[in-house]
Amino acid sequence: MSEPTRAVKVWDLPVRLFHWLLVALFLFSLLSGKMKGNWMEWHMYSGFAILALVIFRILWGFAGSTHARFSSFLAGPGACLRFAKRLLSKAPAYVAGHNPIGGWMVIILLLSLLLQAGTGLFANDDISIEGPLYKFVSKEMSDRLTAIHYYNFNVMVFFVFTHVAAVVFHVFVKKENLVSAMFTGTRNLDAATEVPAARFASSWLALILFALALVAVYLVVKRPF
Amino acid sequence: MKKKMVMIAVVAALGAGASFQAAAQAKPEQLVKQRQSAMVLIGWYFGPIGAMMRGDRPFDAAVVARNAGYLEVLSKLPAEGFQPSTKDEKTKAKPEVWSDKAKFDKAMENMQGEIGKLAQVAKGGDMGAIKTQFGATGKSCAACHDDFRMK
Repeated sequence: MSEPTRAVKVWDLPVRLFHWLLVALFLFSLLSGKMKGNWMEWHMYSGFAILALVIFRILWGFAGSTHARFSSFLAGPGACLRFAKRLLSKAPAYVAGHNPIGGWMVIILLLSLLLQAGTGLFANDDISIEGPLYKFVSKEMSDRLTAIHYYNFNVMVFFVFTHVAAVVFHVFVKKENLVSAMFTGTRNLDAATEVPAARFASSWLALILFALALVAVYLVVKRPF
Repeated sequence: MKKKMVMIAVVAALGAGASFQAAAQAKPEQLVKQRQSAMVLIGWYFGPIGAMMRGDRPFDAAVVARNAGYLEVLSKLPAEGFQPSTKDEKTKAKPEVWSDKAKFDKAMENMQGEIGKLAQVAKGGDMGAIKTQFGATGKSCAACHDDFRMK
């Protein structure tokens, strides 16, 4: 395995903040959802915040830095297959940004989070709390969306486990510093890895987009954060 | 006098027998209706307390105390509708209601206990204390819904 000799900045600050805030809110949502009772109110707010984060990440996927853009990491089946072969071989599998398979995991996680937060807006727990958009749908429709909220939770947890397992594989088997890279933004790559010229977008732009996402969510839920 | 006492005893015995008879002979769909109605009413009187606790509605101690008082009675009703004869009715009750009846009964009692406490606390009118007990009560509802009610 060739040694990583180059430190290359790949993740901008907004991507890193997004990632770890999402981790924290995901765990909080999971716990508050299990605790029930008065925690459900906080579960709801946490869901609003996650919704805003996901909307921001989608915007950033179009307007953000090179490695944050969907166009830079969404690959076809051929590229995914070739990468999978490389991953399972002894050869190093360094990729500057998201690798072809990891890129699709980003999409899957974002979509499942969007589905989870979206159905939560219409959900009811048949006890004492309803999502802010419950009033716009029939009870039957709300029950159906609530059921999706419950089932998709398991789907989401499955993908999060897969994501974490993949990272563990990269860190321990392929000897890549993925976790520290998500903190520092810098990945160690070997000399052979192609590093495309990356353009980094302004963090101020990210802040504006996140503020827009927050306002959009607020206008939908009509509740203060 | 003695004759009158006997009369009362006979009538009471007949009455008790009649109501027992009614429960025993109730059709499964009636039992389902009984327990679902009770649940609807519990939700009806519990929900507004939650809205007040979250600040979605102005806190009104009198309404909370009234609702909690109703709930104390209502909480005792649904258990009666869970008769084995309703096993095959198409409802959201999971088969575990019947296969793990002891746990189900315990969960039901637990809910009744929490609602009893809520009714007590509600009389005090202290919003903080009510909110704490409201949360505990909601948990007791959710615990049973999670284990014994289909999504």
